[in-house]
Amino acid sequence: MYYLSKKKNKYQMGATKEEIIEVFQVKGRNESIYFQELITNLSKYIETLGLYIRFNPLDDHWFISYDDEMSNLVAANPFKGQAKLAATLFCVIICTYSNSGVARVKEIKELRKKKDILDDLKILQEEGYIETDEKTNEVRLTPLIGYQLDLQKLFTKLSLKLKSNEIKPKETSN
Amino acid sequence: MIEFKDLSDEIKDKIREIYEDVKRGKVSLLDLELVPIFNDLKNTLNTSNIDKYSKVYIDACELLKDKFKEFQDLLNSMEDEKKFDLYLKSNPDDKEIIELFNECWIKTFQLQSLSYDFLEQSQIKLSRDRIPPIVIEHLKREKVKENFILELPTQKFTDKMNDFLETIKKKLPCSFNSIFDSMGNQIEIYEKFVYLLHLLQIKEVKYKHETDILYI
Repeated sequence: MYYLSKKKNKYQMGATKEEIIEVFQVKGRNESIYFQELITNLSKYIETLGLYIRFNPLDDHWFISYDDEMSNLVAANPFKGQAKLAATLFCVIICTYSNSGVARVKEIKELRKKKDILDDLKILQEEGYIETDEKTNEVRLTPLIGYQLDLQKLFTKLSLKLKSNEIKPKETSN
Repeated sequence: MIEFKDLSDEIKDKIREIYEDVKRGKVSLLDLELVPIFNDLKNTLNTSNIDKYSKVYIDACELLKDKFKEFQDLLNSMEDEKKFDLYLKSNPDDKEIIELFNECWIKTFQLQSLSYDFLEQSQIKLSRDRIPPIVIEHLKREKVKENFILELPTQKFTDKMNDFLETIKKKLPCSFNSIFDSMGNQIEIYEKFVYLLHLLQIKEVKYKHETDILYI
């Protein structure tokens, strides 16, 4: 619990599977089974406290969060009142997802259309969500958003939204 | 008298209707909320309808399984990347995107201020065995069929004590321990010790602490 709830740096917290295995000095072929049991048992143990074990796919770290209901109760949204910034981050997430983790600033600009996004990207970088390579004009996500947003849930919601045809492509204005 | 509800037939009909609607293409399982069905089952389950309910429960689980399958098919069939790009190209409103974020936020739990040593010590303290609170239980009065007769000793305490005094008189004066030399039985030693204490109290026998001698 100590290792899963410890902040490592600005972008990371928790521990990887390998780190946990090393801490508990598990050796041999059964280390994965032992790890799974450890995570499952700890998860059951802390469930009553309103805590939940999660996995950040962006850096393969396991960490502890408050459960879904509480997360939304305790003002977990770091973009409250900053809809434009959140929408730009969403755009970066989708672009990096579609391009093996890297997105070009040009592409993001095109997708966000008339909205000037350079200021947004600058703020997102300052807040630790993205890293921008000025030479290549490429943007990468840091692991930070994986700790603050349930990415799997977001993609599922988006898939369902598209499926139910609630979104109808709007005509682009030239 | 408590009235037990039985919604088994009603729920069964509802499940059948859902399947018929799905077959006709009228509705998709993904659009249906199955929680109320399970809630109805849970809330009206009792000992009298448990047999019927277990069969309905199996049907409801089948429905849920089909819903999961449909959901799985949906996710597999989607070319996510293209669809997501297409969605972004549709220039959605910022508000619309924010709605997607809703209920996806995570609040991390951090123990930054607590050291490993502190947690280890707390764990040791918490896992220490605790003495359970003493529970006073009242004795139960047991019924005995035969008449209970309390056996009384044949001699009175004073008589026994005086007999003891007569036997040790020949030995006195002597050391305290030598009085009990000839006694091998712990119960006998205890009994005679009590007599001696009484004899000392009524000053029939005296004791000199400095020399550890009993005398009259």
